[in-house]
Amino acid sequence: MDSQPMIDPAAYSELKASMGDDFIGEIVAAYLEDTPRLLDELRQRLIEQDAAGFSRAAHSIKSSSAALGALTFSALAKELELLGKQGNLAGAAEKVKHLEYEYLRVAQSLQALSHA
Amino acid sequence: MRNSTPPGRFLVVDDNKVNRLLLGRGLELEGHLVEFAENGRLALDKLAGQSYDIILLDIQMPELDGYQVLEKLAGDLRLRDIPVIITSAVEELDSVVKCIEMGAEDYLVKPVKPVLLRARINASLEKKRLRDQQRELISKFATSEVAQDLEASGFSLGGKYVEATAMFADIRGFTGIAEAQSPEDTIELLNTYYTLMFDAISGHAGVVNQIVGDGLMAIFGAPIAHAQHCEQAVRAALEMIELIGLFNIEQASLEKVQIRIGIGIASGQVIAGYTGTTRRATYTCVGDTVNLAARLEAHTKVIGQPILIDKATQQSLSQAIQTEAQGEYQLKGKSHLVEIFSVLPG
Repeated sequence: MDSQPMIDPAAYSELKASMGDDFIGEIVAAYLEDTPRLLDELRQRLIEQDAAGFSRAAHSIKSSSAALGALTFSALAKELELLGKQGNLAGAAEKVKHLEYEYLRVAQSLQALSHA
Repeated sequence: MRNSTPPGRFLVVDDNKVNRLLLGRGLELEGHLVEFAENGRLALDKLAGQSYDIILLDIQMPELDGYQVLEKLAGDLRLRDIPVIITSAVEELDSVVKCIEMGAEDYLVKPVKPVLLRARINASLEKKRLRDQQRELISKFATSEVAQDLEASGFSLGGKYVEATAMFADIRGFTGIAEAQSPEDTIELLNTYYTLMFDAISGHAGVVNQIVGDGLMAIFGAPIAHAQHCEQAVRAALEMIELIGLFNIEQASLEKVQIRIGIGIASGQVIAGYTGTTRRATYTCVGDTVNLAARLEAHTKVIGQPILIDKATQQSLSQAIQTEAQGEYQLKGKSHLVEIFSVLPG
């Protein structure tokens, strides 16, 4: 797992090329601002046992993470989305914790890349 | 390829900020104008106030999701022709199928590839422009009611029974008039005549669906139902007579020919629909009621009254309109005697 880069270099450079060098910074900033909010929401929905809301928050994290090339992180979010869809939030707490931990690494990698 | 189509106005609906930025940037790089909504409800608010060429719609959103937005759009005449492109994750293809069944035009898989985005939006913009042109043409060559009916229920040949009032009108002794003046004067006279008649008819929710020479046929109560179609038709007829009177005063002052018209009106069941071929068709009404109106119009010459109506029309009129029984007549094509009434000027 650790040998895998947090951000897929090909996906990220493709995005950078199509969006422009200036704009990629803006997108990364939006992601770094928005994702912690979505993680908070995910945790909140879990506390409320709101499976639909939980699934929607996970879906949103999955979507923007994939766009930025955070593919493994996106796949984790997708697992949570599916749990929510199945209405089965038992055992989700561990996975949310893991997702939050992984996010810190994603954020670090993105910051490094966007300043490169 | 770039800028091969003129810019369009886009509404990007997505609850994820990064997705909004990415889609918006992709469109702006193509030279399009972009506005954003964070969920379905905000999207409908925007749509109520402004017009857009294309909507890019996410499916899963809080407040109102993509399905609910599609449902609202489909039920709204003004909005339902705006092309919607669904933006979805690849594993949501089942949902995309549902969206397309609900009226979405196309879909894009997120994360969206710029090349694909460009191709899809150009195709949708082109379709939208064609549809807009088509609508403009229809409104030019059909009455606004027919255009509305076409928009609401689509075009199909075939008819249905409706309760309506049919009206026929023409100019008395028109052949003689045409022979006595120049062709230019005759065409000008006809144009003025039709302008006045159309104003009176459409002012009373009627639809002129045929003009032939100096005669016209109008229908009240179809294609769009109207509870007071009898009253409206007779009021239109009275206004037509009044307008012709004013027109004649003007003609007299110019030492030009004056005209008289005859109007026949009948009410009841008619068969209404689009007739013709799929290449060329017209909205029309046929049936006994329509024939009777034509016979009554012809009969105005016989008894020298400008407006003649049948009993069904007469019985639906309000007290405000004065009528006079003219007795029963045997009209061409009718097996029974027909009771005829004249309408007295108000």
